[in-house]
Amino acid sequence: MPVINLQPYSSPRYFLILLLGLLPIMIGLYHGKRFRVYETIFSLVFLVLTFGGDHWQQGVALIIYIAYQFILTLAYVHYRKTRNQTGVFVGAVLLAILPLTVVKFTPFLAGGKITLGFLGISYLTFKTVQVVMEVRDGTIKDFDWKLYLHFLLFFPTISSGPIDRYRRFKKDYETIPDRSAYLEDLEKAVHYLFLGFFYKFILGYLFGTLWLPSLQHWALMQRHAFGGLGLSWALLGYMYDYSMYLFFDFAGYSLFAIAISYFMGIKTPPNFNKPFAAGNIKEFWNRWHMTLSFWFRDFIFMRFTFWFMKKRWIKNRIRISQIAYLVNFLIMGFWHGLTWYYIVYGLFHACAIIINDIWLRYKKKHQAQIPSNKFTKGFSVFLTFNVVCFSFLIFSGILDKLWFM
Amino acid sequence: MKAGKQLWRTFGPVLVAVIAALALFATPWRGLKINSQTLKEATVSLSTNVYRGEKIKDVALNDNYVPFIGSSELSRMDAMHPSVLAAKYKRGYQTLLLGGPGSQSLNHYFTIQEMSAQLRNKKVVYVISPQWFTPKGQRPDAFGYYYSALQATDWLLQAKNTKADRYAAQRLLAMPSGTSSLLIENATKKIAAGRRLSAVEKLMLTQKQVILKNEDALFSTLDLDNNWEHIKQETKKLPATDNERLLNQVAVKQAQQETTNNEFNIKDSFFKKELRGGRRLPRLKDSQVRFDYRRSPEYADFQLVLQQLAALNCQVEFVLPPINQRWVDYTGLNMTMWRQTTKKIKQQLLNQGFTNIDDLSEDGNQAYYMEDTIHIGWRGWLRMDQSVRPFLTETQAQPDYQISDYYLSPAWQQKIVK
Repeated sequence: MPVINLQPYSSPRYFLILLLGLLPIMIGLYHGKRFRVYETIFSLVFLVLTFGGDHWQQGVALIIYIAYQFILTLAYVHYRKTRNQTGVFVGAVLLAILPLTVVKFTPFLAGGKITLGFLGISYLTFKTVQVVMEVRDGTIKDFDWKLYLHFLLFFPTISSGPIDRYRRFKKDYETIPDRSAYLEDLEKAVHYLFLGFFYKFILGYLFGTLWLPSLQHWALMQRHAFGGLGLSWALLGYMYDYSMYLFFDFAGYSLFAIAISYFMGIKTPPNFNKPFAAGNIKEFWNRWHMTLSFWFRDFIFMRFTFWFMKKRWIKNRIRISQIAYLVNFLIMGFWHGLTWYYIVYGLFHACAIIINDIWLRYKKKHQAQIPSNKFTKGFSVFLTFNVVCFSFLIFSGILDKLWFM
Repeated sequence: MKAGKQLWRTFGPVLVAVIAALALFATPWRGLKINSQTLKEATVSLSTNVYRGEKIKDVALNDNYVPFIGSSELSRMDAMHPSVLAAKYKRGYQTLLLGGPGSQSLNHYFTIQEMSAQLRNKKVVYVISPQWFTPKGQRPDAFGYYYSALQATDWLLQAKNTKADRYAAQRLLAMPSGTSSLLIENATKKIAAGRRLSAVEKLMLTQKQVILKNEDALFSTLDLDNNWEHIKQETKKLPATDNERLLNQVAVKQAQQETTNNEFNIKDSFFKKELRGGRRLPRLKDSQVRFDYRRSPEYADFQLVLQQLAALNCQVEFVLPPINQRWVDYTGLNMTMWRQTTKKIKQQLLNQGFTNIDDLSEDGNQAYYMEDTIHIGWRGWLRMDQSVRPFLTETQAQPDYQISDYYLSPAWQQKIVK
């Protein structure tokens, strides 16, 4: 019995099968129709291909997870129609996060021997929590359970985002673009697809497959350098190379997901917007992994800030935003995984953004004295780039190998 | 029609790209012709591209190249290195160097079977390193470095239900790289279990093979290490005539010039870099007392190589290199163990009809036989050349091999030959 399993966006074969499967959907949309039944079957087939075969345990985990979230959300929607207690809301959010928490903690507690969960559980959790929150806000009123399932299981983005929003998805799904608009979407889709190929399979290959292993090798060979800190030129090279690899690999992946969504008439939001051209760290987060950082902004940072202001625990707005940044990035660190370097990565970015805020306020006050020209702008881009690359060096985990293994 | 035009503008280039990619990779073609200069560079480049690939090896073997299979000693390219001697004198053969640090019998097995058609009835020089025969044998990460999916598909498509093939399949599955492709992994599992591949699997493997061969033909000559320039420089140091006495003088002179900073007769640059100019020495004192090469899965991996070479009716010269005696004295390597190791290897060879063995394992105290701790160099290369040159330039008797699967067994792997 041959085992069938296709990892998303990993091989030419995957893309060929995918595009063939998409063809009826595209023809339908071209003629102004959405073949909902076909689309559902097609999505299910691809979910089976991703989570079937020797990954079947993941498939089972996915089904249990979806059933759990589905019941939880339906129950909360039902409750919210008549009542609105904060305690119940907090309980619902905690329950929605519970599976992810369990999955992230198990390998830590079991010494890495047991891994639960499935590819993309972190991304699905963003979607479910977001819906619970918006139901509480009252911005999601007419909850359609079929559409909710479709939204959660939308296969182009299921494994690694971009993280879409329920209301936005609903609008795209229900309105079929007219022919000329759809033709434009197709043109964009092809452009994104090929840009993705260039990013992931050419640049990502150069940085990740060709150069990264030898840079890592050299860097680890010099672990005794610099009084045992292992700081070497190779490590510096690794830092830049890893940063490039991370960007092109992930941005390429996101572009694939967006391209496939566009083919299906869904305008999944972009994830990257020239992040390394950012002039400060705050701007960087508006350009890097955008759907994630906007999610954190809307559902953690903003809510935390409002909550603090409402409760009047701290009066100083600046203090509040600083604490909010810390909480925000700390949670993001934990979300990446329970290792010291992810958490330090989060803290590092929190500190960077707090310092950046202090600087921006200082700059505003002393506008007259501080020069602003081409050179200072270039310098700020350079500085931001290096700060970011350094944070990715932490994120990469090589320091863990260098110092503790 | 406006919409149709726009559709074509969007998807036309995609179609062209897909067709071009299919034409380039998925149709069987021979790739670009390899010119003799590229061949010269590639065969001595020691690049993994060449080792893992197929095209260059095939072209070289159809020319007058002889595979010199080994490991890290092949990169010790002083003036007496086999490639320099072959380049300098008209001996009728050139060297195809296969192997590098960490490549051992299992990799060699896959790379040899990859060139089966071209290697049949030909001559091979095989430098054995006793250092391969550690208790755990082949290191998985090093195997992965020299492994290629092309080797695996070539092998799978000709694998039969023999003890050797089943054993090779099990070994491949024990390496992480052997399970990196689902198609290859499943097919290997079948071979390991003694089952046949299905027609669909064969078809998919053949298709994969076509793509991999095209990739190999297109890309394996890119980014080669340029040892050829270095070899050309080294040939200038050699005497005009191919004369043992004159060569020996040059070897001694070169060795003397290059071993000045240590008492081990180790090449200066090695001592400076690898031994930190002596700073690492204290840690290495008596560090090899417990080294044991007598029991190892490597003996069975080596057997795979032997049965493959026998099946191809190759004439093989095996070289058992020496080990730097001064270094042995310092690190405390057990010479009884060393002798039992070489004895066991020779027994495995001789009992199966591999009679061309150049055993230098006792020559570690000869001056300038070793370039560093365990790697042959200078006069050692010359000493080896005394058997290699006649072996390659004169007609050899037809070999008569009697291959026994006993040498694949755990019993043999763990046996100590006294």
